[in-house]
Amino acid sequence: MSRKKKISNAITYVVLILISIIWLFPFVGLVLQSFRGEYGGMVDYLVPKQFSLANYQFLFGDGSKFVRWYGNTLTIAIFVAILQTLVIICVSYALSRMRFKGRKTLMNIWLVLGMFPGFLTMICLYFLLKQLGLTQEHAVPGLILISVASSGMGYYVCKGYFDTIPKSLDEAAILDGATRAQILVKMIIPMSKPIIIYTMLVAFMAPWCDYIFASYVAFGNEEGYNVAVAMTRWVWTNDYQGYFTRFCAGGILVAIPVTILFMCLQKYYVEGVTGGAVKG
Amino acid sequence: MKYFFRWLGKDLKEIGITFREGDWKTKLSFLIMGFGQLLRGQIVRGIAMLALEGGLLYFIIDFGWNYLSKILTLGTVETYKEGRKTVYGDNSFLILLYGLLTLVAVFALIYLWRLNIRQNREAELRLKRGKRLPTNGEDLASLFDKNFDKTLLALPVLGIFVFTVLPIIFMICIAFTNYDATHQPPSKLFTWTGLENFKELFGIGGQGFGGTFFYVLGWTLIWAFFATFLTYFLGMAVAIMINKKGIRLKKLWRTILVMTIAVPQFVSLLYVGKMFAVDGIVNAYLLKWGWISQAIPFWQNATYARILIIVINLWIGIPYTMLIVTGLLMNIPAELYESANIDGANPLQTFWSITLPYMLFVTGPFLLTQFIGNLNNFNVIFLLNQGNPKSMALTKNAGSTDLLVTWLYKMTINDSNYKIAAVIGIMVFIVTAVISLIVYNTMPSVKDEEGFQ
Amino acid sequence: MKKLAALLIALCMVFALAVPACAAGDKTLKVWVADAVVDFTKAQIETFMAAHPEYADYAVTVEPVGEGDAASNILTDVEAGADIFGFPQDQLSRLVAADALIELSDENAAIVAAENDAGSVSAAKMGDLTYAYPLTSDNGYFLYYDKSVVKDPSTLEAIVADCEAAGKKIYFDIRSGWYQPAFFFGAGCVLTYDTDESGAFTACNIDYASDKGLGALKALIKFTESPAFVNGSSVSNATNAAAIVDGTWDASAAKEMFGENYACAKLPTVEMNGEAVQLSGFGGFKLLGVKPQTDDEKLALCDELALYLSSGEVQLARYNEVSWGPSNLAAQADPAVQADEALSALGQQLAFAIPQGQYPGEYWGQAEALGDSIIAGDYKGADDAALMAALQAFQDTCISYAG
Repeated sequence: MSRKKKISNAITYVVLILISIIWLFPFVGLVLQSFRGEYGGMVDYLVPKQFSLANYQFLFGDGSKFVRWYGNTLTIAIFVAILQTLVIICVSYALSRMRFKGRKTLMNIWLVLGMFPGFLTMICLYFLLKQLGLTQEHAVPGLILISVASSGMGYYVCKGYFDTIPKSLDEAAILDGATRAQILVKMIIPMSKPIIIYTMLVAFMAPWCDYIFASYVAFGNEEGYNVAVAMTRWVWTNDYQGYFTRFCAGGILVAIPVTILFMCLQKYYVEGVTGGAVKG
Repeated sequence: MKYFFRWLGKDLKEIGITFREGDWKTKLSFLIMGFGQLLRGQIVRGIAMLALEGGLLYFIIDFGWNYLSKILTLGTVETYKEGRKTVYGDNSFLILLYGLLTLVAVFALIYLWRLNIRQNREAELRLKRGKRLPTNGEDLASLFDKNFDKTLLALPVLGIFVFTVLPIIFMICIAFTNYDATHQPPSKLFTWTGLENFKELFGIGGQGFGGTFFYVLGWTLIWAFFATFLTYFLGMAVAIMINKKGIRLKKLWRTILVMTIAVPQFVSLLYVGKMFAVDGIVNAYLLKWGWISQAIPFWQNATYARILIIVINLWIGIPYTMLIVTGLLMNIPAELYESANIDGANPLQTFWSITLPYMLFVTGPFLLTQFIGNLNNFNVIFLLNQGNPKSMALTKNAGSTDLLVTWLYKMTINDSNYKIAAVIGIMVFIVTAVISLIVYNTMPSVKDEEGFQ
Repeated sequence: MKKLAALLIALCMVFALAVPACAAGDKTLKVWVADAVVDFTKAQIETFMAAHPEYADYAVTVEPVGEGDAASNILTDVEAGADIFGFPQDQLSRLVAADALIELSDENAAIVAAENDAGSVSAAKMGDLTYAYPLTSDNGYFLYYDKSVVKDPSTLEAIVADCEAAGKKIYFDIRSGWYQPAFFFGAGCVLTYDTDESGAFTACNIDYASDKGLGALKALIKFTESPAFVNGSSVSNATNAAAIVDGTWDASAAKEMFGENYACAKLPTVEMNGEAVQLSGFGGFKLLGVKPQTDDEKLALCDELALYLSSGEVQLARYNEVSWGPSNLAAQADPAVQADEALSALGQQLAFAIPQGQYPGEYWGQAEALGDSIIAGDYKGADDAALMAALQAFQDTCISYAG
């Protein structure tokens, strides 16, 4: 029995190590390429022939607006994380705790809306934003507005969590004379720290990947680009010959804060996705 | 329909009665919203009503009417040249967009007007019965207590309406117009064409591209199926391995896997896509080690590309499932496993008879959302190979790994073919809705929402 | 609730701030050019503005927008797009069809016609109207190679053999509708479209489905079967390359990659139906366009500025700065341009190429489809009848885009 167990454990270790290699390989490659000193295009070997910091120096030098793009993305991410979480808490509380006319209808309509391919509406959103003056060089507030405006529909996970807080607590508080608003601020929010952190984390991570809509809103204006829009050009556009290693360096810089944040808050993330998966 | 008219009749009658039986304050409120409320001391309500009426009327008259009045033709004034200077005519796009917005404003005004009349009626009846009206303070306070839901939902609902619902209605309208490369505002007008675009899709009267549509739809479904279930089962396998008794460094394994969630996809997927190019690093090492004699055209061969995309998606997707399953595995009652052990079941049997059914039951809704998410999984396809390779058998720029969404994205960006993109968007919606409806209605764990509380 | 109120106020403030910023006067002029020439263009515009004090109240901004993306970007919203922008000629018809370009005034059209080479002038025309200012005449391709590997660049067979022997690669983007015709045109096939002045395609002239086309397709298939063949046309994406078919814009990258073994030549000959055929291809042009303006003064400024930026003297300066081959006849005659290695290889190749006309957007997708099918090996071992059927299908689809 014990020998059998040992063998099976050994196999498991081998598989896990293999998996880890596969999972880490692209990231190792990315890091190595970002330090490559020789010509910046694609190469067919992994380990650079000479290491250098030139790619990072380029990003922070005068020849590139990388700092600006990074700042844009960070601004968007922070604002979206805060505002979106607020919106989601409001919506989840209303839908979880209060019973009002049209509640079911509202939830069903939102469910249906989620089935439309979102970016079909891009061009329309662009002109709405343009009317507000939030396109091109003013794309950053525009992107924040769009992300926050429609975030109410992403209430599932948070509402699911609120649902698990016993309603009897609310009833007791109401008997004590607390208003609904007080219940939310003084009771529900303090009890929901994990889910709030989860919501903020997810909201914070999304803007780093926003390529499609961001490129649409900020078209032709470098000042309004985010990192994804600016850096995919280095890979896809022929104007940027030999930018591949710079792309890798930029990618590492983008990945670092998000990854660190994610690793620190992983516990909450697991709680969030698990809860969300069960509740749907 | 019948009910609607019955309801409308009843409503009109009530409005009539309110006017006939109402005092002069109520009667004047028919014209100046909030007038009655103001005079009866409900200043907050009165001002809110008045402000809304003023604002909406101003919007409709000053801005919206100009567009709404042209919505049936989508504009008739052509752009022309004065010497070499261009004088822009009507902009069909803005007429449709702001026309819809104005239409919404008109409906909002009618609704508010109705609400205003009802409030007047109720207030009047209450006063007649000798009851007092809620004070301003009470009105305001109720927004944080009894009517807290209205406060909480007002902004989110408004935001969703303007930035989600309105654009969707707009895109549905586009499907019934001829908005394409040769009818682009601001210089060119477009107009309503009825069902022409749908006829083109299904090839009624002319050369359709229905064949390509069904090809892309087929791959979209295949992709969503494999992307969902392969990641699900393999993710579960990985989770079970990590959580196995006697395996150490659980946290390390998990952290390594979770990297793919943390690193933004535009970085990781673009890099991974390059890795598998014909001249990329994977082929280079396979050649160097002598495992292959000629580079494998991963992205050029339709079948390889499809398989590879599903495999790379595993790399992205397994960590998610692994996290979820890890959380859930702990919840399975240990007694179930113990009794199975006593019965002499091997690990595989316990998996089939205990773990899997439990997981499927609990994660049903998750699987559905994953499936729908994968139907519209733009990033993976687009960042990896933009839907290539193309094929002579497909029209309208479609490629063998294009999903419906990436295909319609190409149509709008590369070909400015908005009308067809809108039609395909509607099709995507129909497909998603049908699948969700079927699955939703057969799933046990979603039916009883209140049951969890 | 305070937070909610704060959110409201914040939103209002954003709107209040942003709206006037957008409405601010029309004394701005936006120029889009490729990243490589942003600084150059800025400097040239300064020179221009210094010489034209009457436009001193205009603020000109220059943004890097890839020429390939210019059309897609400007068509998103013509009114918010650039006033003057550079683009490759294949996007002309799309831009004209959407009224995103204004035709040149008669005087400027006459100047452009007189000063630039004939190919570039016809490339800027739709029907009889000139819609853009030629900027370069170097949008063609030729062969860059590594002298130490490729001994004889005159035949494709020899190049491929040398690469195979050295374990190196030859890059040729047969997937692209721009490079792919090198084989077909070389074989003597034609593929052109007729357009009218509104940018619509009226007719397609094509004879791919012929013995000549069959020979070209077979040569393509044979070429792709070599282990040395890699599809691609970008030096920075090429690994382990000994030869690459590419354009002048990659000259400096190619020099860096090949080092002292850098060399370039016209395209090689290929054996088709038993005889050596010189590969042909497109000679294309980069253009500078002005979008329709609603203000006469601004239009006048745009006209003058675009004319200046495409003038012979600026083209020559641009050549000196970033090595873009001029379309201006006087600039082409300059000794420095004449002596340029890459440009002279291109010049030799252009003698065999056809000036690129207008092609519908769908054509490029269709060509990619054909290229993908060849690379994926769909036609491996196919008999003549099957290949002919494929060519016929390609031809029919191309014809269906016209009219």
